[in-house]
Parts: sequence; structure tokens; C-alpha cells
Amino acid sequence: MDFDLLTSPELLLARIFDGLNAGAVYALVAVALVLIFKATTLINFAQGEMAMFGAFLAYIGWSEWGLPMWIAVVVAMILSALGAAAIERTLIRPFDPSDHLPLVIVTLGLLLIIGAVAGMIWKFDPRPFPELFPSGSAFRLGIANLRWYTVFTLAAAVAMMALLQFLLSRTKIGLAFRAVSSNLESSELVGIRVGPTLQFGWALAAAAGTFGAVIFVADPVRQIEPSIMLSVLIFASAAAALGGLDSLWGALVGGLIVGQVQTLLVNVFTFIPNEMALAAAVFVLLVVLVAKPSGLFGTARVERV
Amino acid sequence: MSSPLLEAAGVKAAYGQVNVLHGVDFSVNEGEVVVILGANGAGKTTTLRSISAMRLVTVEGSIKVAGTETVGKNPADVVRMGVAHVPQGRGTFPELSVEDNLHSGAYVVKDRSQIHKDIDRYFDMFPVLRERRDQLAGSLSGGEQQMLAVSRALMSRPRLLLLDEPSLGLAPLIVEQLFETLAEINRDTGMTMLVVEQNAQLALSIADRAYVLEAGQIVLSGEAEAMKTDEAVRQAYLGY
Amino acid sequence: MSARWTIVQGSPQHRIYRWVGWGSFVAAVLLIPLIVADVAVINIGSNSYKFTMSQLTLATSWAVAVLGVQVIVGYTGQLTLGNSFFAGVGAYLTAILVADYHWSYVSTLVVVLPITFLLGMAIGLPALRIRGLYLALVTISIAALLPSFAKLDTISIPFTGKTISELTNGSNGKDIKSISKIKSPDWIPWDGIAGFFQGIPVVGKFFGEGGLSARQEDTLYKYLIMLAIAVIAFWLVRNLLNSRVGRALQAIRDNETSAAVSGVDLALYKTLAFGVSAALAGVAGTMYAIDIGFVNSDDFGLFLAVNFVVGLVVGGVINMWGAVVGGLAIVLIPSMARSTQSVPLVKQSWLQGPVGPFVQGVLLILLTFVLPGGIVYGIRRLRARFVQVVPPELAAKGEMEEPPEDYIPLMEEPPPELSESVPD
Repeated sequence: MDFDLLTSPELLLARIFDGLNAGAVYALVAVALVLIFKATTLINFAQGEMAMFGAFLAYIGWSEWGLPMWIAVVVAMILSALGAAAIERTLIRPFDPSDHLPLVIVTLGLLLIIGAVAGMIWKFDPRPFPELFPSGSAFRLGIANLRWYTVFTLAAAVAMMALLQFLLSRTKIGLAFRAVSSNLESSELVGIRVGPTLQFGWALAAAAGTFGAVIFVADPVRQIEPSIMLSVLIFASAAAALGGLDSLWGALVGGLIVGQVQTLLVNVFTFIPNEMALAAAVFVLLVVLVAKPSGLFGTARVERV
Repeated sequence: MSSPLLEAAGVKAAYGQVNVLHGVDFSVNEGEVVVILGANGAGKTTTLRSISAMRLVTVEGSIKVAGTETVGKNPADVVRMGVAHVPQGRGTFPELSVEDNLHSGAYVVKDRSQIHKDIDRYFDMFPVLRERRDQLAGSLSGGEQQMLAVSRALMSRPRLLLLDEPSLGLAPLIVEQLFETLAEINRDTGMTMLVVEQNAQLALSIADRAYVLEAGQIVLSGEAEAMKTDEAVRQAYLGY
Repeated sequence: MSARWTIVQGSPQHRIYRWVGWGSFVAAVLLIPLIVADVAVINIGSNSYKFTMSQLTLATSWAVAVLGVQVIVGYTGQLTLGNSFFAGVGAYLTAILVADYHWSYVSTLVVVLPITFLLGMAIGLPALRIRGLYLALVTISIAALLPSFAKLDTISIPFTGKTISELTNGSNGKDIKSISKIKSPDWIPWDGIAGFFQGIPVVGKFFGEGGLSARQEDTLYKYLIMLAIAVIAFWLVRNLLNSRVGRALQAIRDNETSAAVSGVDLALYKTLAFGVSAALAGVAGTMYAIDIGFVNSDDFGLFLAVNFVVGLVVGGVINMWGAVVGGLAIVLIPSMARSTQSVPLVKQSWLQGPVGPFVQGVLLILLTFVLPGGIVYGIRRLRARFVQVVPPELAAKGEMEEPPEDYIPLMEEPPPELSESVPD
């Protein structure tokens, strides 16, 4: 065991800071998964790739269309929302929502297609993404360095959650969305049109996912390339499951915990080397789903036998 | 005589391969309370589900609400024709607050001031709902949920209210209160109601007319008053 | 719709019909290698497609892998995406035993089979509680793990005194073919066989000219080994599924509760199914190592997992032929996509990108929409238009019935909830 970490608060703090950054990104992708799960009890395996594509759109908007970076991000979020709405309408809605297997296969197909299209258009060489947030250190204690980037990423994640929370709790379409996810049949009986409402969920999820991916790749330690979100999907799934697959704030908490598990656990126990961060996430996922499928904050749903 | 508000002719309904209704005719006039009685599995719920054009039921025949066909429409359309449906098991939104449940009931209503007025009205009618306005509907008792379900349905200001076994799973005292309230609403506002019930005695006490459904067919119909007193009918069909 | 020809089950015509079907399959499996020998090139438009023996060999291995997924999907109604993990384990075990311990290739199955079987049972345990979507999520995550596992440098394996990454050679990949090569034994008279087919009039020219090179002989021998392993695997699974075990699994798939009530041990049979499935994946991994002679952990990640789904969906789950078609699809789709260098209206530079995954993705979605039973189901329906096999009872009555729908939906559909039957 690496006792340095236990005796050195600096090192511990440094790891916690690392984990915060990753965790906030996982939370944003997790929230996208949660939005779709809430509405349809479906896990969108293509969510990570959709987010990656959205981040590329932002990159293109900035580098080729000459948009200011933040405008490019908003445009990319809108475009991915429209794309997701189109996907929902054409590829998802024709299927019986209670029959999961064809839907899993369709989203796996989407995962392949979106990843491949990105690879065809943009190739696999990593490109540096413009910085969205100021660099530099917000707080420093010896080797523990809390980057401004981490602070802003966290703030952005919280702001995104708050915005989604507002949309869902204070608007009419938000009410419809919550009604549909609570009781599909009854929501039809009060006059809610289920299809467009679910489409709204997909669009919202895609926008949130794109935002998460943009923040992920805009970190100066990373670059953008088509396969960047593949493993993020697994971390985000673990985060979403941990928080309870249908809880927005659960996704945030779950994301932060998975971020900490990834960096802290891996460093406290040195026999879990770095490669095993992913294994730690999968382990979390497995334990949560076996022991408490509703996660920390989710609603217990009875799976029909 | 003006045509009835709800008119069903030759309605056949099935879940997949299972035929439940084998051609039933019935009607409900404006301002009436009509009950459909029958045992478990007779097709009562299916009748209401057919009117609302709900999922999983395939309907043949004709069901007209104020002259407009509902067969082949979807539930959201039927709501916009002025039909509100309190489904069996109440169908509230358990993860939504009491107040949000009422708001959702007014989903098709545009006028915001009307919505707030109506919410106040049902809070007056069922004071317990006002006390629990911020609680999640899932945390309410069965009786409270039924009150919420009825209020939610009324929020859309329907012309026709469909109630599916409102007494199911409720304590007798609560059931009596509920039926009194329903009768009151009908008396005060002239709201047309179609009620499906197993509790025949209670249902007939507030009804104008009644149909008895057996194995997917209507075997008896008539004035509620007459049915209540007819000994033979009571023993053969109503079981009390 | 009535078929053009009707054949009575058990009649001499039926026997001939079946023999011709099987005979042509066996002939194809045995003769195509002799024709291809090494590489066959087919030109379509301006694109030329190469078909190599190595592809055919690899297809046999992936067919076994798809069979493994079929066992889970077809017989438990669940989707597992984690079998690429077990394939990776199988491939590495074979590679390590052959390269470092000088075992013969095929003998490594003695180790691969029990280990992957037990690992599969271990995955089957959580699968007792996790179902549907969640199981797909967990298993795809496990699939994504293999590349990191293979690079682990802190855990040492008992008896070897080496870490995992030392055994697997980490991210460089494990080379076996330079250490041990499969050589065709001298007693197989390849030249004589080739000469025999070349001597047949008219078709002889398809079999090339002259004797085979040593490399071609080795390739053909390798193919025969793989074919033998695959045939044995299919035969064993068929017998297993026709036995008590298969009936129990079927009962579980159709209705878990009633199966449990009639005394089927759910936990036992489900974990057993996962064990068998994983063992088949392990065998496929061993076959991969035999064919390629090189194992790289990155080839056993998420994309192989999705590839198995592609094989499953393309082939379908109605019967084992689906696995054969699926195995071929896994190999042929990406390689043909790579060889496609010009398509009208499509940018040339795009075709240098990952066209294979794109085509696979499109196929997944397209088939789910238009042919959810897979290609084998499609062929059956097509065949039913021309040939119909009827049992003798029906033929005697002169009745023409629709052929029975033997399409097993990929997942059990929940029965419509009849709310009328809600008890008081």
C-alpha cells in the first residue's frame, strides 16, 4: 500500500482535485444518459459518440466557420439536439419501447455509425481544442494544485444541472417529460403527446452530452479525436447507475464519486495500477446493479419478470 | 331528441389475440351518470380503454364523442375532444407532487388563470390535497390518491368523465364519501359521467342508467332505479 | 402463399433434398479452400476484393464465438456483450502456453475450456440479478476491460512468477507464429488431392495448376484443424441444447416463473448457459490465436464485442446456421469495406476512414428494421416460396399450410397486461 498518500495530505488533496475534474465530466455525460433513461428506460449506448460528434461540431464551428468559441459551443449544442431529435423520430420511435433488445441494437449501430463518420471526416489525429476557461492555478498547497479549469468545469456541471432542473420543473414541456417518465399511460390520458415529449428528452440529452464532451476535450491536458468518448461512456454509465439511473442530481453525485474512485482508490492502493481506473468504474457499476439497482437516489423500479 | 354525448355501436375490442368485447352498444346523454356493472373480466375496463383509444387495445366499430369518432385516434386526441379518464388503479404520477399532478391534468388547458382557479376549487373540495400539495403523489394514501386522480381528471374541464372502478381498494367510508362527491359534482355542474364499477349497490345509487356487461356483451340495460329494486335482476347479475 | 414444390417429410424426395443441401454445404466448405488456396480476387466495378484463406479460417473461429452469444440470447432471452472478454482470455492463454511453455496449439484447449467456462459462470452469477438493458451495460463494460487487464503490470500470476503484462507482452502484443508454426504433416498427399481435382474436365481449371507450395499446404492444414474444432463445438452445443439442459433453458426463456415452479433450477441453468457461452468464446479465442499467430489486447476490446452483436444480428438466432453466417459477416464486412476504394458520389478520402464499422452500424439498424430474424430467417422465408416441406399427415389430407413460424424473436415480448384480470 502506498502510505505516502495517507501520510501526505498534499498528495491526497492533489488526487482529490484530479478526481473532481474527471468527475464533473462524467456527471455531464451521465446526466445525458439519465435524461433518456428517465423518459424511456433505455440506455443510449451511442450517447458518448453523439457527444463526441457534438464536440467536433463545436470545434469545426470555431476553426472553420470562424465563430467565437462559446457561440460555436451553443451552435453545436443546438445542432446535436436537432440531430438527436431526428434520430429519435426515425430510428427509435418505430420500436415498442418495452422491448429493449432491438433498441439496444439500434443504439449500438448508432455508436458504430457516428464513430465511423467522425473518423471518416476528421481522421484520428488528435487536435488541440481552444481553451474555454482560464488556465492557471486557483489554489495551491505544495504539489496539490487546484486548477481554475477544474473549478470552472465543476461550476459548469452544476450550472447545467440547475438549468436542466429548471427546464424540467418549471416549464410545461418539462412537466410533460416528468409525467411521461412517471407514468406513460396516464400521461397520454391527460393529453400529453408522448412521442414529441420523448424527442424533447433526446434533444436535451444530446445538448447536455455535447456540453460535457466540449468541456472534456477543452481541458488543456486533452485533445479532440473521434475515439475520445468511448471509455467516458463507461465511466458515465457507472456514474449514472450509482446515482440512480433516473436522478439528475444523482448523476452529478455519481459522477463525482466515480471520479474520486478512479483517481483516489487507484492511488491509495498501488496494486491497482492506472489501467484499472476503468475496472474500478466497472466494479462500481456491477456492485450497484447487483446490490441496489436503484442506486443512491433513484426510484426503485420493479423489473417485470 | 338531441344525439347522445357518447355513442358506441358494435364495439369489438381485443388485446392482441384475446377478444374481450364482442360487439357492444351503449350511449351516455349529456348530464347523465351511467354505470357499467359486471364481474371481473367482463370487459368493463376494456370498454373505457376503448373509448380513450388507449394502447394495446385494438377496437372495431364506432365510438363517437359529440359526433366525433375516437376509434383510430390516440388518447391525447380523445382528451382534446373533452374526455377525461380516471384509470383503474388511479394512475397518478407517483414521482410528481400533488400540485404538479393537478397541473398535468390541465395540460390541454391554455388559460392559466382558469388553471389556478380550478386548483383552488379542488383544494377546497378535498382539503387534504391542499395540505399535501408539495408531497409526492406516491406518498398519499389510496383514498387521497383517488381524490387526486378525480381532481386531475376534472382539471381539463371535460365534458365526459370516465371513472374506472373508483372504489377499488378503498375503505367503505372513503368510498361513500367519494361517491357523494361525484354525485355532488354531477348535480352542481351537470358533468356527464360514465362509471365502471363492481360495487353495484353504491354505483346504482348515484346513476341515472346502468348497463350490465357479461363476457364482453351487454346483457341488461335500464334505469338505475328500476334495476336496484328488481329482485330477479339483483340476484342474477348484481350478486347482492 | 403456396410454394411451388411440395415435399413430404420423410419421403425419398425429402431425403434427396436434404442430402443435396448438406452435400453442397460440405462440398463448399471443403472445396473452396482448394480453389482459393491462398488468395482469390473478385473485381466489382473498379474495386477489387481479396478473399484469403486466413479470412475463411478466422470466420470459423468467429462462428464459434457467435454461437456462444446465440446460446445466451436465444436460450435465456438476455443480451450479453461481454464474450469478447472471454475470447481475449482464450487467445492469450493459448498464446502464452504455446510461446512460453511450448504446448501444442490445440492442446491449450484443455486449459482454455475450463478457465473460460468458470469465468463465464462467474459473470452468470450477477446476471441472475441483472437483466435486460442493465446486463448489456455491465457486459459491454466488462468487454471494454480486457485491453487494460492485459497491460496490468502489478499483479503476478501464481506458478509463473510473472506479471500479467510480462506474460501478455503488454501493449506490444504477443507473437506466437515466430515461435511455433503449424506445419502440415507429410502424410497428407496435398499434391495428389490437388492433382485429382485439376484433372476433372471443365471445372479442373478452377483448382489452379501444379502442386501446392509448402505455405499453401500449411494454410490448408490450419484450416482443417479449425474446421474440425468448429464442427465439434457446433455438434456439442447442438446435443446440449437438445438435451434436458436445452429444454430447461427454453422453459426459462419462455417463462421464468413457471419454469421455476415446475422445478427448473434457474440459478444453475442460467449460470451454466453463461459458462457454456464463455467457453465457446474462449475456444474462438484459441482459434483466433491459431489463425493469426499474434494476439494484441486492443483487438479484444469494445469493438470485438460489438462485432459479435453484428454477427448475431446478421445471422439471426433461429438456428445455428445464423452463427455460421454471423462468423463470415464479422470477417467479410470490414475487409470488403476496406477494399472498397471508390464508390460513386462518395469522397475518396472518406473511404480511407473506418468504413467497416460504418457498414456494420448501418447493417445493425437496417436489419433490426427490415429483417429482425437475420439473414438465415430471410433465406428460410424466401425458400418457403419455392419449396415446402410438409409432414405426411398434412400431405395426405391435401392441406397446404403456411410453414410453421420458427422465428424466435430476439427477446421475449411481454404479454399485454390485461388490466381486467387485476385481482381484487
